Amino acid sequence: MTTVVETQALCKHFGPIRAVDGLDLAVQAGEIYGLLGPNGSGKTTLIRLLIGLLRPTSGRAAVLGQTMPDKAILSQVGYMTQTSALYDDLTVRDNVAFFAEMCGLPPAGSRARIAEVLELVDLQDRANSLVRTLSGGMKQRTSLAVALVHRPRLLLLDEPTVGVDPQLRVTFWSYFRRLAESGVTLIVSSHVMDEAERCDRLGFIRRGKLLAGGSAAALRAQAGAASLEEAFLHFAGEAG
Amino acid sequence: MKARRIFSLARRVIRQIMHDRRTVALVFVMPIFLITLGAILFRAEAALIPLGVVNEDEGMATPMGKMAIGQLIVDEMEASKALSLVALPRDQIDARLRDGAVQGTVVFPADFTAGFYKNRQAAIDLRLEGSNPARSQQIAARVTQAAMKALAGQMLAAQGASAGAAELPVTLNATYLYAGESFDTMDFVAPAYIAFLVFFLVFLLTCVSFLRERSQGTMERLLATPASRLEIVVGYIGGLSLFALIQAAVIVLFTVGIIRIHYLGSLWLLFLVVGLLAIVGVSLGILCSTFARNEFQVVQFIPLIIIPQALLGGLIWAIEEMPGYLQPFAYAMPLTYANRALRDVMLKGLGLAEIWPNLLILAAFALIIVALGALTVRREVA
Repeated sequence: MTTVVETQALCKHFGPIRAVDGLDLAVQAGEIYGLLGPNGSGKTTLIRLLIGLLRPTSGRAAVLGQTMPDKAILSQVGYMTQTSALYDDLTVRDNVAFFAEMCGLPPAGSRARIAEVLELVDLQDRANSLVRTLSGGMKQRTSLAVALVHRPRLLLLDEPTVGVDPQLRVTFWSYFRRLAESGVTLIVSSHVMDEAERCDRLGFIRRGKLLAGGSAAALRAQAGAASLEEAFLHFAGEAG
Repeated sequence: MKARRIFSLARRVIRQIMHDRRTVALVFVMPIFLITLGAILFRAEAALIPLGVVNEDEGMATPMGKMAIGQLIVDEMEASKALSLVALPRDQIDARLRDGAVQGTVVFPADFTAGFYKNRQAAIDLRLEGSNPARSQQIAARVTQAAMKALAGQMLAAQGASAGAAELPVTLNATYLYAGESFDTMDFVAPAYIAFLVFFLVFLLTCVSFLRERSQGTMERLLATPASRLEIVVGYIGGLSLFALIQAAVIVLFTVGIIRIHYLGSLWLLFLVVGLLAIVGVSLGILCSTFARNEFQVVQFIPLIIIPQALLGGLIWAIEEMPGYLQPFAYAMPLTYANRALRDVMLKGLGLAEIWPNLLILAAFALIIVALGALTVRREVA
C-alpha cells in the first residue's frame, strides 16, 4: 500500500486562531477517508492546505509524494467545495470542459471523457443547460463531474453532501465507493455521523487536532460506545 | 400601505449601508474630491501658451523716426501675459511645432513695416500646430488682439481718421501643420472619447467578472488547478481585449462614417493603441477588484479611478493648458498616453515612428499593473 496523503505536525494559524494545530495524518491509496468534526473544527482548512490553497504556518503536507503547495501535482487531484463553484452563465458541458482543460486533460478523447462523467452523475440530458437553470442537487452533481473529469488519483471533497437530498446522497456514496474500487483515493469531510459509517477509515477532528483515527467499528469499540456520536463525545471528553 | 413596515424597511436599508463603512465615507468624501478637481480645472490660471516668433522685420524710417511695427506687436504679445514667446529662426518653425516646443509661430517678414505703411494693413503670417482647434482659435485671437493694440496708436498718429473705421488693420494668414480650418472641437475630442469608452468598458467588465469569480468560489476552484496566477490574468486580458477591439471598431466606424470626424491615420495603429489600452484596463480591473467586496463597491471605482482619468487625461482639457501642479498627476494616468497616441494617429496622421514613446509608456503601465494584478490573485484566498 502506498501513502497518498501525509501530514506531519501540520499547523495553520490565522492570527490567534489555530485552525489546524499539529495534525498528523496518513491516507493510503484506494481508501475513503472521512474527516469528521463539528463546524469550525478545521476540516475545510485542512483540505485547503492539502490542495495548496493555503500555505502551512508550520509542519508539512504532502500529496502524492509532493510537498504542498505544488501546482503541477494538481492535475492529479480533484477538488469539490461545499458550495458548487461553477460558472452560472455557462452550460454544464462548458463548465466541465473548461475545468478539464485547466487540469490538463488531453484534448484527444476529452469529448468522450466529458460525456462519460456527465453520464456518471446522470446529467447527460442537461449537458446543454445553463448552470443557473439547474436545481441545487444538479449543481452539486455538476461540481462532482468537474472534480472527476481529469481522472484524478486523489479526490478532496469538502462536505460534498451538504444540502443534498437523501436519495442523491446515497447515489453520491455509491459513486465514491466505485471510484475507490478503481484505485482512486478519497478524502471526504462531513459533520454528519451516519455518512461516516460508509468510510473505510475516519479521523475525528476537533479544534484543529486529530482526536482519534481508525475504522468506524474500531473507534466505537475503543470508546466503548454504541454510536459514532457517542464515540466522538468520548474522545472529545478525553482530550478536554 | 403600512407605515410600520415601510419604516422597518427604511431602517434596514440605512443600517445595511452604515455597515459598509467605505460606502459611507465615499458618499461624503467623493463629491468634495470631484468638485475640488473640477474647480481647479475650471478656475485655474491657464498655463502660458508657448508661441514662436520669427521677427525679420527691418522697420522703416518715417517722419516720426524709425518704426518697427513687428517689434511693437511682439512687445504687446509679451505684455499680454497669456503667451510665452520663443524666438525662432525661420527654418525651424515646423520642427518646433512638431516637437511641441511651441504651439504656433508668428512670422514678421523683412518688409513687414514697409508693407503696413503701403497697404494700411498688417498682414501677419501665423503657422499653427492645428490639432486642437480651440487652441488654434485662442492663439489667433491673442495675436490679433496684440496687433490691434500695437497698431492703434500708430494708426491715429500716421493717418488721422482717413482709413475706414470698420476696417480691421490686421489680417491673419493662418496655415496649419496638422489638421486645418475644417477641424472642429469634436475632431479633437473624438480620439480621447474612443480611449475613454474602451477603457471604461474593459475596466468595469473585468472588475465585475473577477469579483464574481471570487464571490462564486470559482476563483478558488481555478487556483486548485495547475493554472498559474499569471495564466489566469493573461487569459482574462486575451478574452476581454477582444471586446475592447470590437467596441473600438464600432466606435470608429460610427464616428468616422456617421458623425464625420476627420481621420487621417492608419487603422491598424489605432487598434494597436486600443489593444494596449485594453490590456491596461483589464489588469487595472483585476487589481481593483481585490479591493471590492461587492458590485456596489465596484461602482465606487468610477468616481475614484475613471473620472479623474477623464478629467486629467486630456479628454477636455489639454494637459498643456492645465496648471503646472496638476500636470504630474496627468502624466501618471495611462489614459493620457492613449489619448496622445490616438490624437497623433487620427488628427496628425503620424505613424509608429512618431508615436512609439507613448506606446512604450502604455506598455510599461500594462506590465507593471499586470504584475501587480497577478500578485493580488492570491494563492491564499482565505
